[in-house]
Amino acid sequence: MNNDISAPQVETDVLTAMRRPGPAWLTGLGLAGLLFAGGLALWAYQIMHGMGVAGITHPVGWGVYITDFVFWVGIAHSGTLISAVLFIFRARFRTSFNRAAEAMTIFALMVAGLFPLIHLGRVWRFYYLFPYPNQRQLWVNFRSPLIWDVFAVSTYFLVSLVFFYVGLMPDLAIAARHRSGRAGKLYRILSLGWTGNLRQWRHYGRLYMFLAAFATPLVASVHSIVSWDFAVSIIPGWHTTIFAPYFVAGAIFSGTAMVLTLVIPMRRVLNLQEHIPIDHIEAIAKILLLTSLIVGFSYVIEHGMAFYGENLFEMEQFRFRALGHYSLLFWIMIMCNAVLPLLLFIRRLRRSLAFLFVLSLLVNVGMWLERFVIVVCSLARDFDPYNWGNYLPSPVECGITLGSFGLFFAAFLVFVKTLPVLSITELKER
Amino acid sequence: MPRQLYFDTPDAFLEELRAQLNAGIPRRRLRARLPFHLHEAEELLIGRPSRLRYFALGGGLAGFGGGFLLAMLTSVDWPIVTGGKPIVSVPPFLLIGYLLTILIGSLSCFAGFLWLSRLPDPGPLVSDDPFDPRFVLTINDEEAS
Amino acid sequence: MTSMVLNKSGIYALLVISALLIGLTEFGLSGKPGSLLLTLLFWSCIAQGCIALAAACELVNARWIASLRRELLSLYPLLLLLPLLFLFLWPQLDLYPWTDHPTLWLNRPFFMLRNLAILLAVFLAGRHLAKRSLDGQTTGPAAVIYLLLFVTSQTLAAFDWVMSLVWPWISTLLGAYFFTEALYAATAASGLLMVLYFQGKTRDTSLAVGNHLRDIGLLMFGFSVLWTGLFFAQFLLLWYGNLPEEVGYILDIISNSPGRELAWLFPLALFLAPFILLLGAPVKQSRHMIAAVSCTVLGGLFIERLCLVMPTVPLHAGALLFYNLLLIAVALLMLHSSMHVSASAD
Repeated sequence: MNNDISAPQVETDVLTAMRRPGPAWLTGLGLAGLLFAGGLALWAYQIMHGMGVAGITHPVGWGVYITDFVFWVGIAHSGTLISAVLFIFRARFRTSFNRAAEAMTIFALMVAGLFPLIHLGRVWRFYYLFPYPNQRQLWVNFRSPLIWDVFAVSTYFLVSLVFFYVGLMPDLAIAARHRSGRAGKLYRILSLGWTGNLRQWRHYGRLYMFLAAFATPLVASVHSIVSWDFAVSIIPGWHTTIFAPYFVAGAIFSGTAMVLTLVIPMRRVLNLQEHIPIDHIEAIAKILLLTSLIVGFSYVIEHGMAFYGENLFEMEQFRFRALGHYSLLFWIMIMCNAVLPLLLFIRRLRRSLAFLFVLSLLVNVGMWLERFVIVVCSLARDFDPYNWGNYLPSPVECGITLGSFGLFFAAFLVFVKTLPVLSITELKER
Repeated sequence: MPRQLYFDTPDAFLEELRAQLNAGIPRRRLRARLPFHLHEAEELLIGRPSRLRYFALGGGLAGFGGGFLLAMLTSVDWPIVTGGKPIVSVPPFLLIGYLLTILIGSLSCFAGFLWLSRLPDPGPLVSDDPFDPRFVLTINDEEAS
Repeated sequence: MTSMVLNKSGIYALLVISALLIGLTEFGLSGKPGSLLLTLLFWSCIAQGCIALAAACELVNARWIASLRRELLSLYPLLLLLPLLFLFLWPQLDLYPWTDHPTLWLNRPFFMLRNLAILLAVFLAGRHLAKRSLDGQTTGPAAVIYLLLFVTSQTLAAFDWVMSLVWPWISTLLGAYFFTEALYAATAASGLLMVLYFQGKTRDTSLAVGNHLRDIGLLMFGFSVLWTGLFFAQFLLLWYGNLPEEVGYILDIISNSPGRELAWLFPLALFLAPFILLLGAPVKQSRHMIAAVSCTVLGGLFIERLCLVMPTVPLHAGALLFYNLLLIAVALLMLHSSMHVSASAD
């Protein structure tokens, strides 16, 4: 693909991207840090004053925090898709994105993992979630989907971290060669003394394949398990068998959009146009289109099936989503997730960076709203009309949500300047 | 004295490697360093697959059994009926087993990799031996090997 | 054997004759309508799936398909058999409980019309794709159109043909489950084709063919895991919800004798057998092992479909056997003809 770029050129191009934090980077980091600090302060406020400061109450006990959790876990998915699944399918365009996407996975999971704790209220009791022998002689309830979540998300995080680190090892050794002083030493230590002898490489090759093979089912299962938090209940709108693949497709959809949101500016600011060719971005756009079609298919099935049977509660739930209190959010979601991405059938738009960037932002908005609509609408209108009520997020919830974006972008900005944003070794191999 | 040959391209490196092997130099006297993995080099110099797969298999099986047993035994230890489901509910416990298959499988693979490739290796850190961007073929003397 | 080679009109004539044979048997002999429905369910899965697999591979430029593309695509006339057979369902619609109280979506004319229309559309799109691909023209748009129609058709098959047998039982995933199964069936069929086709053509297992064989094995392995995921996603939710209207149908399947055993058999054939057998590398290199696994998978799919229709529809075993043997013969004959055609074209 990029055979015209010599190996030393690849190294210097990617490594110079790590140097010289410019004013744009500093401003970005400052803004993101500020948002994050605001979010932290609001969380502290919530811990001090109790869950009353959040808008969640009877009957809508799951609100923005759970929406955020589902959203961020979803964002993580495309990182694994790009790094593991595309590796197994031997898709060459993955090398342009895998490092950034894997980093995104890690950061998104870190952010996602915070939300159950924020939602928990008494956050200092979080360790009750883990099965360990304790004085109370209690064990966790393995029949509860919330415990599956603990296992799924922590497994996902650890496996992604190992995968990310293993991919980095040779590149850290390269970075060490280009850096002098303490930074160089640190990179060298982090590379575990990698010298690239044949013994290392041959086990490394197998390891990478095995990790990809282990991570591939995770792409499909983690968000399935998240979807079962909802679907194993019998609440109308939640109890439906399509939830697992529907959530997985949505996760990859939103994650792919986030990859575009991050990579398009990164490519420009760090001058990596040569290493991330437009053809590869087009391939990512195709994934976006495919997952958008699956998500649209799920919308049609979900709504069609509600009126296929004779279940009044299901019918009312889906009527409420489309025409009720939250209908505006519902229609924005339909536009952003199922209608606008259809424009990607046009080749010229698939290759227009400006269009892709705007679309990726809209998709993220749409996917956040999708989770909100799913979580909130079903709780707001369940079986008994006496048990109905609408929900409005409180400023604390909105602030913590913004703070989570701050944390995510701050982490990504730090990543961009501390680690090679492209896999140098794989670029050379390409 | 060991001889060191440097190459910029994989083709030149492999050609030289083949030439050396054809000239009757035994495999054990040849050492290679590569900027990225070459399966051909592995086949020429070692010729048997990595043993990492046993770590993957062992870790996966241990994870599955361990996860399922963890869920089952803790449920039996504290038998409380929730949601009208049996104490030993196989479908959700299979899920725990499945997740731990992946977790323990990957971690044991990683540990196995570190063990098999002798990492972390303090040698290069102390002697300041960098990761070379070129292909290096080292031909050792008979007695050195 | 050259006398058995058919040209295009011969193939279509054969299809019409076999459809008529099946129709005559259905109304003359069997009197039990399930055999036709089951045959349709099984063969729509294989026929539509094979073309869909070829289309998907063309879209992503998958290389392994190169050696099988012609064979898979040459099965496209089978797609015409589906609407022909579907016509014979018309007098049998009393099978469906909703015929007593038709709704806006489920009523006789609309049911027949939409299914016939989509089956015909799939045939036309498949033919278009196959022609373009075999002529070496660009296939991108044709493949996309075919895949969209394929997904719609399999979804309709799941919801209309199967799910409405037990109306108002609902599983929203069933549509996606069906089209995944169709692709799974097509992969298994490719495994069989690999044996049939490459035994004669290349005696020496060249590297490329070996790789393609391994890729098919890998794909089948992947599909076995994916299938399990989709199966489990439905099973888990029904098991957890434990609502009478949802588990009633499942209980009907598993509480009487053949269903009880068969319901264990198909997860073994569709998940455990391929998963364990294909885990090792050497199996994926062996043509015969791949073929054995493929047969297991196709058998598993047949049993699964059998389980789905068994509680509500009376089956005639003899008729079922006859239909399927007939269709296998037709498919083989078509393949044989296409091999001859493509070989002479080379």
